[in-house]
Amino acid sequence: MTIDQLNAIKEETQKKSAQNWIHVGYSTCGVAAGAKEVFEALLEESKARNLTIEIKKCGCVGLCSAEPLVEVNVEGAPRVFYGKVNKDVAHKIIEEHVCQKKLVEGHIYEI
Amino acid sequence: MKRILIQDTNGDQKKALRDFSVSFTTQLRERGLSDAAQVVTVADIGVYNKGIVAKILPEGFIYVNLDAARIGEIIEKTIQKGEKVQDLLLDKKNKQMRLGLRNCGVIDPESIEEYIAVDGYQGLAKALAMGPEKVIEEMKKAGLRGRGGAGFPTWMKWNITRGIKGDLKYIICNGDEGDPGAYMDRSVLEGDPHSVIEGMMIGGLAIGATQGIFYIRAEYPLAVARIQKAIDVCYTKGLLGKNILGSSFNFDIEIRLGAGAFVCGEETALIASVEGLRGYPRPRPPFPSVKGLWGKPTVINNVETLANISYILFHGGEAFGKIGVEGSTGTKVFALTGKVRNSGLVEVPMGITLREIVFDIGGGVFENRKIKAIQTGGPSGGVIPEQFFDTPVGYESLQKLGSIMGSGGMIVLDENDCAVDISKFYLGFCVDESCGKCAPCRIGGTQMLVILKKISEGKGTEDDLKKLEQIAQAMQKASLCGLGQTAPNPVLSTLKYFMAEYRAHVIDHKCPSGKCASLVSYSINKEKCTGCGMCARVCPADAITGTRQEKYTIDAAKCISCGQCFDVCKFTAVIRQ
Repeated sequence: MTIDQLNAIKEETQKKSAQNWIHVGYSTCGVAAGAKEVFEALLEESKARNLTIEIKKCGCVGLCSAEPLVEVNVEGAPRVFYGKVNKDVAHKIIEEHVCQKKLVEGHIYEI
Repeated sequence: MKRILIQDTNGDQKKALRDFSVSFTTQLRERGLSDAAQVVTVADIGVYNKGIVAKILPEGFIYVNLDAARIGEIIEKTIQKGEKVQDLLLDKKNKQMRLGLRNCGVIDPESIEEYIAVDGYQGLAKALAMGPEKVIEEMKKAGLRGRGGAGFPTWMKWNITRGIKGDLKYIICNGDEGDPGAYMDRSVLEGDPHSVIEGMMIGGLAIGATQGIFYIRAEYPLAVARIQKAIDVCYTKGLLGKNILGSSFNFDIEIRLGAGAFVCGEETALIASVEGLRGYPRPRPPFPSVKGLWGKPTVINNVETLANISYILFHGGEAFGKIGVEGSTGTKVFALTGKVRNSGLVEVPMGITLREIVFDIGGGVFENRKIKAIQTGGPSGGVIPEQFFDTPVGYESLQKLGSIMGSGGMIVLDENDCAVDISKFYLGFCVDESCGKCAPCRIGGTQMLVILKKISEGKGTEDDLKKLEQIAQAMQKASLCGLGQTAPNPVLSTLKYFMAEYRAHVIDHKCPSGKCASLVSYSINKEKCTGCGMCARVCPADAITGTRQEKYTIDAAKCISCGQCFDVCKFTAVIRQ
């Protein structure tokens, strides 16, 4: 790889970056707390509704006591972290936050 | 649309918060603003012990100590006009600063494209253009010191190895993180593996090494898998191997697993382990910088150090050097654990006070119990009692207090933690992990542990306290490696700050915090006892008997002093003496 190729990858990836996304904390702390189940629930629910949203596994943002942590950024609603997410909360995130642009009760963590 | 995030930050006004929420929603509806604002109760608003707190988005205004009477004003000013309500406003600055953890939780760690998109490998590109001398010069400007614990300036380490003639040199990443409660290296390896690889390549370039080795403990399978994946993709993309980024720089990386011995985090033991030998340390000099792996000059850098290097090269040493304080530049990641509300990783600029870390970021002690001290630096560190919490964090400032920065473990202790018990725990850890090669560590540690056990059982004497100090000093001076030299630190620092507690154990045969099981006895106050029987149900020794009418009693002969009845009793009827 040359420097030009490196810069080309950089530009291309930046251009492709999604407007609407969900990040799931997927390090040891997150996985141990149930991130796999949450990730699958989010993916399933968004597929069932035919949503165009990027759902991605990330590292740990640091607040391990609130894992599984999910960060949500969709147009029309503020970008927030949800902590102690389980399957049910994951469904709510898709239904309420992503679709209705309403924040989900009781799980927001300001980091 | 406005969002009103609300939380009861004291944790004792559940009903008041519910009323506040209902009242806010009603008033919004009455003014026809139901569709213009949403009231949401949140789990953690980032402010603590300030009553009911509301945060208004998108403005980000934080209002504290609220009651229902102020709702109308907030709606009129902030919701309708976007103005502040001055007297309720809390000016809160974000105290964290993310350099080492900059990409953790932001990018997909398994995608090299995403790392490249956030300026990944640009630091390496700059380093290749600069050449080794200038890279070291840049590191000198940055003033980065080793994040593994000892705090040796990284540029100096590199410069020494660079100056030594040799056809083959190595750079090793020390990922043998073993301090109890510390896991920042794991998080960086798992969350941003490419930043560590990039840092290692820059280091290799600076010292003239062509081979890098990751030494990671086998207990971190996910970290190992992600680093391996990152290395593999670097080879397929041509970022590792020959002529990296079109230059004449060649570099290879491989992984070695550590089998979980704490001593292998010590650099000479680590080298022995990589060579396939038993993880024994050896006397220094010669230092690994001169004679390391396979007898060749070797630099060993910690994970967090390497993650910072890619940042420094991209943003420039000067910019990094401006962060933090003189002598301790940049940021440090701490693993904040123990009796703290928000346990997890925090990254803060050097120079921040311990109080800010524990209370403003960590949210203080849970259940609002009284804080006693924090333990920093793991088994090589010490305790820092509350009166020193306003000390700014830095290598030298913590050392002056008899503790160390260490790799970044920070364990919060509350009034229920006993100083003797803490030092017994840490010393016990080091005795277990001592490799046994040198006598001061092997025998000294064991003897100190015997004395500490004696004290915690109430059989200690005042003479024992003197003996502890003597052995500790001998161990510090005569041990072969860092493990033995620093193992007595938790004992010495608790002796320094909590002598009264030690004396209570040896003179009064009492444990003031009620932790040392042999020194406490439990009984039940029949007047307070309601006969609910909770204590009898949790008692693992069946030592508690009674009925609703007759109330309950504890059979001292059967009681094992575990304290479960004390914790479970809602009526404070269980007495601990």
